[in-house]
Amino acid sequence: MNQLAERVAARDVASVFVYTYEAHPGEQYPHLTSMDQKYRHAADLRDRLGVTRPILLDALDGACHRAYGSMPNMTWIFARSGIPIYKSDWTDAHSVANAIDYFLDVSERRRNRERLAPFRVERLDYRNQDRVAFYEGLARSGPKAVDEFRAEFPE
Amino acid sequence: MSDAELIRRYNYDSFVRANWQPWMQFDASPPLGVAAPDFPLWPLAGGATTLSAVWSAHAYTIVEFGSFT
Repeated sequence: MNQLAERVAARDVASVFVYTYEAHPGEQYPHLTSMDQKYRHAADLRDRLGVTRPILLDALDGACHRAYGSMPNMTWIFARSGIPIYKSDWTDAHSVANAIDYFLDVSERRRNRERLAPFRVERLDYRNQDRVAFYEGLARSGPKAVDEFRAEFPE
Repeated sequence: MSDAELIRRYNYDSFVRANWQPWMQFDASPPLGVAAPDFPLWPLAGGATTLSAVWSAHAYTIVEFGSFT
């Protein structure tokens, strides 16, 4: 997602990361109880996981996150008007790239005076399932996070 | 539900189904094509902003929601 953000930034596309809740709280990254703690965890997201996009913290009660469906790692794309034009219940860079490239092409077509009207489409996209990387991520939170996920979703 | 109870339930302390499943509400999320709700947000770099201030500054804005875990 960082690479995509860099690729499209020059075409007037902003990319931000909204920090929500700890989906897999563990010994190292326990559940959030204060905004100070949320700032610390968000700083680690930047410094340890290398998120280079601007990070914005949601309120401690997740008001924004909850209003948009509160999935643990979802992505939305908004037009300047504030109208959402893409939403996915999971974040996959290929899917987001496919969508933003399409919308940038729409902008170009409009500049070329094509008359365009929106319509709705549903599509099932596909994401990588890298179990090793996923468990490495859980382990960064702590053994509790690993054990709880295994208990919920036995292999 | 009180504010304190909402904060406690949203920031659950264990990944067990009774804690996380109630928050999986993507099917009830705002529809595409209709003006979306706005909320205050706090940049890690400091200060305060809103989601609308972010999306109104660019032709398109990609918003990823997530956390360290």
